[in-house]
Amino acid sequence: MALATRQQYLLVDPTTQPLNTMFHAAPRLHDLTNKRLGLIDDSKENAQELLEELTAVLRQRFGIANVVYHRKPSASKPAAPEVIQELAQTCDYVIVAIGS
Amino acid sequence: MQVKDVRHVEWDDVVEAIEKCYELGWTDGLPVVPPTVARVEAFIEYGRRAPDEVLGTLPERRRAITVAKVAANAVMAGCKPEYFPVLLAATEAMLDPAFNLIGPSSSQGSAAVLTMVNGPIARELQINCRNNLFGPGHRANATIGRAIRLILMNACASIPGLFDRSIIGESAKYSYCIAENETETHWLPLHVERGFDREQSTVTVFACWSPRQLRCDADPRATLDCAADVASTFGTSLCTSDSVGDTSQLVRQGQMVLTVAGASTFWRDWSKQDVRAYLHPRIGRSVADLKRVKVLSGAITPDDAQHRVLFVPEPDDILIVSAGGPEGTGYRCAVILSELPKVASAAVTKAITIPSIS
Repeated sequence: MALATRQQYLLVDPTTQPLNTMFHAAPRLHDLTNKRLGLIDDSKENAQELLEELTAVLRQRFGIANVVYHRKPSASKPAAPEVIQELAQTCDYVIVAIGS
Repeated sequence: MQVKDVRHVEWDDVVEAIEKCYELGWTDGLPVVPPTVARVEAFIEYGRRAPDEVLGTLPERRRAITVAKVAANAVMAGCKPEYFPVLLAATEAMLDPAFNLIGPSSSQGSAAVLTMVNGPIARELQINCRNNLFGPGHRANATIGRAIRLILMNACASIPGLFDRSIIGESAKYSYCIAENETETHWLPLHVERGFDREQSTVTVFACWSPRQLRCDADPRATLDCAADVASTFGTSLCTSDSVGDTSQLVRQGQMVLTVAGASTFWRDWSKQDVRAYLHPRIGRSVADLKRVKVLSGAITPDDAQHRVLFVPEPDDILIVSAGGPEGTGYRCAVILSELPKVASAAVTKAITIPSIS
C-alpha cells in the first residue's frame, strides 16, 4: 500500500512580534548633587506620598537644584509627549512612581 | 500579493489542521479555521488594501497591526470576506488614542470590547439586531465579535496571563458584536447621533463589562428608573474611586451603553436625547452611600445623604442603541458599563470603508 502524502500548506501567522526600535539611553549621572529632578506621578494611590518621601531623601542627601512635578491625568495613559519633552529639557534625571 | 510571516505546515485532514493551530497557540480555546495564505489573501483582496498597510500601533508593546494580521485573525474566527471591512474599521477604532487599548486590554478589571455596527452594512451582512441580541445563532455577530478578540490576543499580544491581566474575565470576551435595529424605531441611530450620515456604515467599539439585563413592564419613566438603578449599583466599574480615573473626581467618570428592545411606540414621546437627559442625573449615589461601602473614606456626616455623586460625566456619555426583539412584552434593556473611566478609555466610532467594485 502506498504511503499517504501529507498535504503541505502555508499559513499566515496571525501574531505579531515586538518591533526592535532603536533606543538611545541618556548619559548616566555620576553625581546627583544639586541636579534638577523630574517626577512623574501616575495618579494612583500612594504615588504622591512615595515621591514626596523620595524627594525629601534626595534633598537631604544630595541637594536638589529644582523639582518639576507632573501628575498624569490617568494612570492608564502615557504621559503626553509635550510633558516628556519638557522634562527632558528641564531635568537632569526623572523618577516615575507607580502607585497602588 | 506578498503576504509576509508565513509558516509551512502539513496535515492529513481538517482535524489535524485545527489541532495544528492549537499547537501554534493561535486560538481562543475554540477550534479555528486555519489561516491559509489563499484564504487570507481572499480577504485582503476583498478589502482592496495592501497587506502591509499599518492600521495602527500599540507603542507600549512595540506592535504594529497590519491589514494582513487582521485578515488572518478574521479567517480564523470563521468570518466571510465581506465582514473584513468591519474588522479593519474596528481595529482602527481600537487603536485610536481615545480608546487607549493598552488600558482595557491589560486591566485586571477584565474589559470585553463591545462592537456595535450601524448603517447599511449591518443589514447587508445580516448582523443581528433583534431577538437573542447578545446570544448565539448568527454567524456575522459570532465571528466578527470573535475576530475582535483574536486580533487582541494574537496581533495586539493581549494574551491571558501575559499582558491581559484579567482577574475573572468576561464571557463577552469570546464574542460581543451587535447591530442597531435602525428600521423599526423613530430614534436616530447611534452613528447619526455621533456625527455620521445615516447612509454611512460605521463601527463603534466600547471597552466594557457584560450586559446586565433588566425588564420593566410599566412606562418609559419606570423603565428608565430601573435602568438608572442598575447603573448605580454598588460594586460596579463605575461605583469605585480607584485611581485610574481623574483623581479630582470622587468616583470614576465612565460611559454606558443602554440597549433598548420593545416596540418603538412605547417611546413615542421620547427621543434618545430625552432618554439621556432623564437618565444622567439619576445615575449615581449619595456620599453617605459611597462612604457606607467604603468607596469614599471618612465618617458619614449629616449632610452626606443630600450630596449626590454622579457616575457618568455628561448625558452624551450614555450611548443608546435600539436593539433586541421588538415584540417582547415588557421592555427589555441591557445596561452595559464601561470598564474604565472615560479619561482612560472612551467609545470610538469609525467609518467603514466599503470597497468599490472595479
